[in-house]
Amino acid sequence: MIELTDIRITFNEGTVLENKALRGVSLNIPEHEFVTIIGSNGAGKSTLLGAVSGEATISDGMVKIDGAEVTSWPVYKRAKYAARVFQNPLAGTCATLTIEENMALAYSRGKKRGWQLALSGKRRQLFRERIAMLKLGLEDRLGDSIGLLSGGQRQAVSLIMATLSDSHLLLLDEHTAALDPRMAAFILDLTSRVVKEFGLTVMMVTHSMKDALASGQRTVMLHQGQIVLDVSGAERDKLDVAHLLEMFNRVRGEELADDSLLLA
Amino acid sequence: MSLFAFLGTLEIGLIYGLVALGVYLTFRVLDFPDLTVDGSFPMGGAVAATAIVAGVNPWLATGFAILAGAACGLVTAFLAVRCGILHLLASILTMIAAFSINIRIMGRPNIALLGENTIFTSIEKFGIDPLYGNLGMVFVIVLLVAFLILRLLSSDFGLALRATGVNDAMVAAQGGSVGYYTYVGLALSNGLVGLAGALFTMSNSFADVTSGVGTIVVGLAAVILGQTLLSGRQLWVAVIAVILGSILYRLAVAFALSTGMFGMQASDLNLITAVLVAAALIVPKMKSKVRAKISRRKTK
Repeated sequence: MIELTDIRITFNEGTVLENKALRGVSLNIPEHEFVTIIGSNGAGKSTLLGAVSGEATISDGMVKIDGAEVTSWPVYKRAKYAARVFQNPLAGTCATLTIEENMALAYSRGKKRGWQLALSGKRRQLFRERIAMLKLGLEDRLGDSIGLLSGGQRQAVSLIMATLSDSHLLLLDEHTAALDPRMAAFILDLTSRVVKEFGLTVMMVTHSMKDALASGQRTVMLHQGQIVLDVSGAERDKLDVAHLLEMFNRVRGEELADDSLLLA
Repeated sequence: MSLFAFLGTLEIGLIYGLVALGVYLTFRVLDFPDLTVDGSFPMGGAVAATAIVAGVNPWLATGFAILAGAACGLVTAFLAVRCGILHLLASILTMIAAFSINIRIMGRPNIALLGENTIFTSIEKFGIDPLYGNLGMVFVIVLLVAFLILRLLSSDFGLALRATGVNDAMVAAQGGSVGYYTYVGLALSNGLVGLAGALFTMSNSFADVTSGVGTIVVGLAAVILGQTLLSGRQLWVAVIAVILGSILYRLAVAFALSTGMFGMQASDLNLITAVLVAAALIVPKMKSKVRAKISRRKTK
């Protein structure tokens, strides 16, 4: 589904602010796999997601989605393949449009947007069915402006919006980070339900090691723009947060040791 | 105000209703402050007048005017999207350039259309009094345009256009090219303004290169006035409000000038407009401030 080959991304190349966000990351994600991505601040988690979504300009390497080489494609063209949910609940929806209008926008993702009415009876029926999955009572408020909803509700709608189009790839960029713990748990549970029901392939960036291990089938840890851990299956099942934290510290420790060697 | 003056004011108000619709599309829907209209309005008039004098069918000439207006919009969109020039500045550049181009089109600063065929003279043959005929014709055209705009904004395309002005990152994430919607939105808006320019010229039997001065302010005044008086979330309310705002603006100005109230003269028009727009912008803010004050008092 996703093939990343030796991706290198450098911000502000050739200036004093030069920042090598990704230094040769290769990652293959087969269809229906749910991968969680962790790492400390500045490890390159979001940049990795940006490499897939098109948000980050790739300096070197190749990105393939569904067999198509998309390395130089802009964001809007890649949207055909991937739905996204952002960290900021306000970013993924359009505040002045109604819930159903937002859903209609997502329904046409990757399709030609023409003269056809955005809200037909048939579409409304589909939107009503899908949003009923949330059990938030939103199916009776489809005509309300989405700006009236709370951040958590908007994230929930964003997740449902991701299921309306034909693509089967979902990119989640710390999509529970801005929510209160109860809502975050709800959204995370909803994510697993939606992914299962629609057979999605997922890349989920998260700060929480607990969430990273609890969701999905595979976990990738990034550090300083490189993959330092890639576990799945039985090996991953054995891991708990304490293990992960230990590994995390070990990686950082080694790096410190390297530095001390350099400085010596 | 005489009946003749009243009907004439209604007609001008309706014609500028098209300008207001164009300004609504850019300022409100696309969130793109576009001053191109000061150039595309006289360009519509210039193209229509030149074509008619050259013997072109007046309806076809009107079509050319729409295309010319749309071309102005495309130039502004190109400067803003492709060249990354600040939106406001890009539109000012097009506006300035259009002034020279309009004189080139006409070959001189103005053209008289007296005795020429226009879309208005074509209905006089049926024996309709031009006093009502012109107004009726403009009314039908504006109604048709309003319906088409409403239909467009309700379509898949229109939805993406509306979202572009609010959350362009989301539009991109949903597979819409923000640049594309900016191009089409500006072309559409200025095409409408070109149409208004052509109608204005044919109604007055006169095309003048300076007729565009202040078009943007009049359009903006109509949008703000209309939406202040008639607010609502639905699209059709907004579209009607904008056209109504244009008519009300014209009536208010005509009334103020004709009664000689406060000793005003025609050249005070710009001052009145500025005061009117400023007032319409301030009133909603004052309203919410007063409301906040009242609710604060209640909670005390």
